[in-house]
Amino acid sequence: MRRFPSVALWVGVAALGAAGFAVLALSRGESVNAAWLLVAGVASYVVGYRFYSRFLALKVFALDDHRATPAERLNNGRDFVPTNKWVLYGHHFAAIAGAGPLIGPMLAAQFGYLPGTLWLVAGVVLGGAVQDFTILVASMRRDGKSLGQMAKEEINPVAGMAAMIAILAIMVILLAVLALVVVNALRRSPWGLFIIACTIPIALLMGWWMRSFRPGRVLEASAIGVALLLLALVAGRWVSLDPTWARWFTWSGTGLSWAMIAYGFVASVLPVWLLLSPRDYLSTFLKIGTVLTLGVAILLILPPLRMPPLTRFVDGTGPVFAGKVFPFAFITIACGAVSGFHALVASGTTPKMVTRERDARLLGYGGMLMESFVGLMAVIAAATLEPGVYFAMNVPASALGPTAETAARAISQWGFTLHPGQMEALARQMGEATLLSRTGGAPSLAVGMASILGGVFKGPGLALWYHFAIMFEALFILTTVDAGTRVGRFMLQELAGHVWKPFGRTSWYPSILVSSALIVAGWGYFLYQGVVDPLGGINSLWPLFGIANQLLAAVALCVGTTILIKLGKQRYAWVTLLPLAWLAAVTLTAGWQKVFASDPRLGFLSHAQAMAVSASPDAARLIFNDRLDAALALAFMAVVVVVIAASAREWWLVLSKRKAATVNEAPYVESAYATGD
Amino acid sequence: MRLETEVQGCRVAGVQAPRPGGAQAKLRTVLHAALRTVRQVAGAPDYERYLEHHAASHPGRAPLSAREYYADFVSRRFGAGPSRCC
Repeated sequence: MRRFPSVALWVGVAALGAAGFAVLALSRGESVNAAWLLVAGVASYVVGYRFYSRFLALKVFALDDHRATPAERLNNGRDFVPTNKWVLYGHHFAAIAGAGPLIGPMLAAQFGYLPGTLWLVAGVVLGGAVQDFTILVASMRRDGKSLGQMAKEEINPVAGMAAMIAILAIMVILLAVLALVVVNALRRSPWGLFIIACTIPIALLMGWWMRSFRPGRVLEASAIGVALLLLALVAGRWVSLDPTWARWFTWSGTGLSWAMIAYGFVASVLPVWLLLSPRDYLSTFLKIGTVLTLGVAILLILPPLRMPPLTRFVDGTGPVFAGKVFPFAFITIACGAVSGFHALVASGTTPKMVTRERDARLLGYGGMLMESFVGLMAVIAAATLEPGVYFAMNVPASALGPTAETAARAISQWGFTLHPGQMEALARQMGEATLLSRTGGAPSLAVGMASILGGVFKGPGLALWYHFAIMFEALFILTTVDAGTRVGRFMLQELAGHVWKPFGRTSWYPSILVSSALIVAGWGYFLYQGVVDPLGGINSLWPLFGIANQLLAAVALCVGTTILIKLGKQRYAWVTLLPLAWLAAVTLTAGWQKVFASDPRLGFLSHAQAMAVSASPDAARLIFNDRLDAALALAFMAVVVVVIAASAREWWLVLSKRKAATVNEAPYVESAYATGD
Repeated sequence: MRLETEVQGCRVAGVQAPRPGGAQAKLRTVLHAALRTVRQVAGAPDYERYLEHHAASHPGRAPLSAREYYADFVSRRFGAGPSRCC
């Protein structure tokens, strides 16, 4: 009888969530308030956390506070440090959240707000959070080993090598597509470009401050950095209004992509303290601050959702990117639902800082729920835009035509309304020259965020909020470009070191220069082709990125399943097998369609065929790119198949007792932190 | 402060010994704890924590200076492996 209040409470929460989904799904015609979306999402998260993550922690992983964590056993006061679980939660969240969970839902909003919402919520509870939690626990019990090492040791060297290649490939595509998002956000936007250009001298100043002037004073330097950044944000308005200055900072897409490529190379070669670490701190503070502010603002104004729950584009004819809702909604939204990239973070810094084993539940599972919540905020930002405005911003010029009139005509043909003067008025409000066909998701997210933030904090005005949002996105995308190029460089050096020893020395300058140049050339090539692509670049690059990210998640879930089976927990193996099966279905279907679909907007090969008979002067280049993209998609699919096959073989060997089930966990040591339970 | 007596010649970053008692001292302790939390969330180096650790586990050996500690910290944190997601 004592359990009754608790049971009633949880039944109530579940009912509330169900009611939220019912309102979202069943509303037709009238607009729904964002509150319902939040209620549906949060109730599901809470139920998932309370029941499913508890089941995972107690039954599946059997987390044990008496078992000392690496942070306790290897405490060195530097990277292995026992850390308060709430502090580490913030730290872990800042490391996993980036531009991904914001951009993906924005693009997927072409299907309406419902598919994205359902996938964000169901995907995280049953897939993404399970993956992060599993890998965090696995790495924590192996003294913080990386995903690649675990794949090699727990599955076999083939899987390890496949994982390594997958990580390198995803890095190249990720950097290309994120750089493309920034280029599209900054092209012909003097205000935006001015702020982002200012971040470089600001970061250098911070780097010098923290290294030489006041060693280690990160908070001080970050406070100065944030203040200067806000100054640059305000000063940007004058830059955009002054004809001479505005001309200086008005760049074309190709000019910006060359600048990004040069910047990526320089950032990868320079010492980390000078540019990378100050930028990282700056974007961490900005990220946490903005996410919290946006969350509060959404709760305060609870905007109505103007987008319909489902649009006609679920049939695959969508103008933002091609492809049906299955599998493409699940590819477009990776971060926020399931993100393979998190497996790298969950097997990086965080496992070295966990104080007690059971803290991993909050960090791994709970951290990912928070990222999914950020994804829901992006869905809300997208759905508060009028559908006409959303499509006018996110559809490439090849489908909208050159002017506001042609755009309005195209959009009315799709069944949405847009007055020709509306976009011009909006652009003026946001302090931009034009907002038509500003593809990539960042500008439309910025408009959505500006209307939410500007609705609560009216003082600064919409144009300032718009550019604040652009700055926020561009800053942490550029941080990813810095860090990613560098990580790619290290991985390339390690791989090449197997062939020729000296190349593997990460501090040998010729090796640094060559490997940095190769990585930058890799993503730079895709970036440049994306910028000049008549279909807008996002159409081919974002799905490739989504496939690569989900592929990495599949690798992580294979590692997780293998470990569970070797631990003798095969009756629970479904917890990782279920999301693995789904991701394999999604990535393989999407990959297949991207390569072989007969619609030239969707299939790379049929597009190449269409180009072969066209009179376009760029035909040869476009055909080459189509084939390259097709080869890449096929390579990604091959990696998934190889890793799954290698894992399945290992499972069969262990389950049929042909091979002894040995896991490489660190030995059990009694913890001094255990409180006794 | 225990640290300042144990680790001679090292100024503890960002801390001034609070005078015992008084609202001001209490405020300073709270502020100090808050800054420490912010530092850890941001993944920033915490020299003071390092000194505490060093004093506890390697007594008698001289710790790294603030500058050396920072250089070491940055190269560990950003030196290899992805520390950030997309």
